[in-house]
Amino acid sequence: MNRTFDRYASIVFLLLGIGFMWQSAKISASAYGSTVGPNIFPFGLGLALTLLSIRLFYEALKAKPTENHAEKLDYKRFFMIFAAAFLYAYFLEFIGYIIGTFLFLLFAFQTLERGKWLKSILISALFSGGVYVIFVVLLEGSMPGFPSWLS
Amino acid sequence: MNVLDYLADGFMTALQWHNLLFAFIGVLIGTSVGVLPGIGPMSGVALLIPVTASMTSGLPAEAAATSSIILLAGVYYGAMYGGSTTSILLNTPGESSSVVTTLDGYQMAKQGRAGPALSIAAIGSFAAGLFALVALIALAEPLSNVAIKFGPADYFSLMLLGLCAVSGLAGKSITKALIMTVFGLLLATIGMDTVSGVARFTFDIPILYSGLEFLTIAVGLFALGEVFKSILERDYAAGRTSKIGHILPTRKDLKDSAGPIARGSILGFFIGILPGAGATLASFFSYIVEKKVSKHPESFGKGNIAGVAAPESANNAASGGAMIPLLTLGIPGSGTTAILMGALIMYNIQPGPLLFEEHPQVAWGLIASMLIGNLLLLVLNMPLVKVFAKVIQTPAKYLIPIIIAISIFGVYAVQAQIFDLVLLLICGITGFLLARNDFPLAPLVLGLVLGPMIENNMRRALTTSNGDFMIFLQKPMSLAFLIIALLWIVVPILLKRRGKEVVVNEEG
Repeated sequence: MNRTFDRYASIVFLLLGIGFMWQSAKISASAYGSTVGPNIFPFGLGLALTLLSIRLFYEALKAKPTENHAEKLDYKRFFMIFAAAFLYAYFLEFIGYIIGTFLFLLFAFQTLERGKWLKSILISALFSGGVYVIFVVLLEGSMPGFPSWLS
Repeated sequence: MNVLDYLADGFMTALQWHNLLFAFIGVLIGTSVGVLPGIGPMSGVALLIPVTASMTSGLPAEAAATSSIILLAGVYYGAMYGGSTTSILLNTPGESSSVVTTLDGYQMAKQGRAGPALSIAAIGSFAAGLFALVALIALAEPLSNVAIKFGPADYFSLMLLGLCAVSGLAGKSITKALIMTVFGLLLATIGMDTVSGVARFTFDIPILYSGLEFLTIAVGLFALGEVFKSILERDYAAGRTSKIGHILPTRKDLKDSAGPIARGSILGFFIGILPGAGATLASFFSYIVEKKVSKHPESFGKGNIAGVAAPESANNAASGGAMIPLLTLGIPGSGTTAILMGALIMYNIQPGPLLFEEHPQVAWGLIASMLIGNLLLLVLNMPLVKVFAKVIQTPAKYLIPIIIAISIFGVYAVQAQIFDLVLLLICGITGFLLARNDFPLAPLVLGLVLGPMIENNMRRALTTSNGDFMIFLQKPMSLAFLIIALLWIVVPILLKRRGKEVVVNEEG
C-alpha cells in the first residue's frame, strides 16, 4: 500500500511542480526597481518539487514490496462523520451555530457508539450552547447563532 | 536597561492577573492535551490558536499577543509534561517525546511505584524547565545581538539551514521530507506578492488573494488529521490505568534521580537549540546516556527511576531550548515552534533579533511567564496527578467529535469564511494520508511559515547584487550556513548508505 501511495503521490507532486512552474512563467518577470521579479522563487521551487518527485518515483519503484500488513480501516464510520462535518461546515452560516453544532455532535456521537441517547443529547447541547454563550455573549465575537430565517 | 531590568518588566507583565490566568489555563489544557492520547502538542497548540485569538480580542494588539503566546507556550510545555502520565500509567505515550518514558515508567507502575514515577517526572520537568529558562535568559541577548548584524543573504541561508535541518531529521525518507518542505514553501507563495503587489496562483479567485491561511492548514493537518486517524483505526477504546498509590518519592528516589535530572536538563537543552532535533531526540539520547553512565545498566527497562527522570527532564529542557532560535533568530526548529511562530505573526509580531527591541513586553513577558508556568505546573501536578489520571479515561468517542467541532468553530471564529472550513476538512484528509505514508508534516508547516521571509530575504539579497546568485556564496556567514545546511542533508544520507541506523525525530 505504501509503495502504491508513494507512486501516486510522486505523480501528484510532479504535476503540481510542473503546474507551479508553468503558472509562474505567466507572472510578470520584473518588479519595479528590482531585477528580481516575483516569478523566480516559485519557479525555482516548482523545479525543485519536480525533481524531488521524480526522485521519489524512482525510490518507490526501487523499494521492495512490503507485505500488506495494514489493518482494516473503518471507512464506513469515517465517511459518515466526514460527510456530516462537511455538511455542518458548509451550511454553518445557513443553519446557525447552535443548531448545526448540536446536530453534528449528536450524529457523530451516535455514529461512534449507538445508544446512551440522553448522555449524547446532553453533551451536544451543553457544548453547542456553552461555546455560543462564552464566545458571543461574554467575548462578543460574531457567530451566527440561529438561522436568520428563523428569527 | 540590562537583562535584569527587562526580566523585572517581564514579571510585571506576566504577573498581571489575566496573564496569570492565561498561563494557568495554558498549563492546565496543555497537561490534559499531553495526557489525552490522540492529540499531541502540535495539534493542541494549533487547535488553541483560534480559541486564544477570540479570548484576547478585547485587548490592545501587543497585550493580546503577549497573553495568547503565554497561553500557547503553556500548552506546549504542559503537553511535554503531560505525555509522561500516560506513558507511566498506560504504557502508551501521549506524545512521541515520551516514548522512552514507557520503558521504565510502566515497569515502575507495575511494581506499584506509579506515584513516585509521576512525581519524579514532574520534579524533573520543573528543574529542566527552570534550567532551560535561565539559559534562555543568558543567551537571548547576546544571540540576538549577533543576529542583528545579519544581512538578507545571511538570513536567507540561515533559514535554508533551518529547513534543511528539519527535513534531514524528520521521518524515514529525506526525499519525502524535502518534498513536504518545498510544498509548504510553494503553498506560501499563493496570494498577493508583498513586494511587487502581483497576484500569484490566484486564478482570479478573490478569496485566494490574501493567501492560504496558516491557521486553517495547521489545524487541518494536525488536529483533524489525527482525529481522522483515530476514527479510521477505531482507536477510541478507553484503556485501563494502573493504580497510582502513594505519590511522594522516597529520599532514595530523589537521590537516585538528581544526577539524571541534571544531565537530562543540560543535554536536552542543547539538543533543543539545534533546529530539527527536538524533544523526542533529546529524550532518546538522555536515556542512552543514563544507561551508559549507570553502574547498573541492566536495571534499565525494569523500573529504574533514572529511566523516567532523565528523558522527562530532557524533553522539557528541549522545549525550552527550542524557544531560543525561535525568539532570537526567528527560526523555528520544530513543528510546534513553527506553529507558535505562526501565532505570533498572526498578531503582526515578527519573532527574530528585533523582537527583544521592538516588543520587549512580548519577549520578556513570555520568558517570565514560562518561569511562573513551570512553577504552576509543579504545584498543579503534584496534588492533581490523580485527577489527570482520570482525564485519561475520558471516552474518546466523545472527544473525537468535540475536537472536530472545536476545529470548525475556531477556524470560523477567526476567518469567518466557509471557504476556510472546506479547506480545513481537505487538509484534515491530506494530513491523515500524508502522515500515514511517512510524509512528515512538520516540514510543511515550517515551509509555510518561513516561505514569505525566505523569499523576501532572497529577493533583497539579489536586488543588492543585481541578480547575481553568487552573493550567497560570497558573504562568509551565508556561505557557512549553506555548507552546514548541505552537510545536514548529506551526512544522514551517507550514514544510511553505510547501513547505520539514523535516529529520526518523528514529531514535535
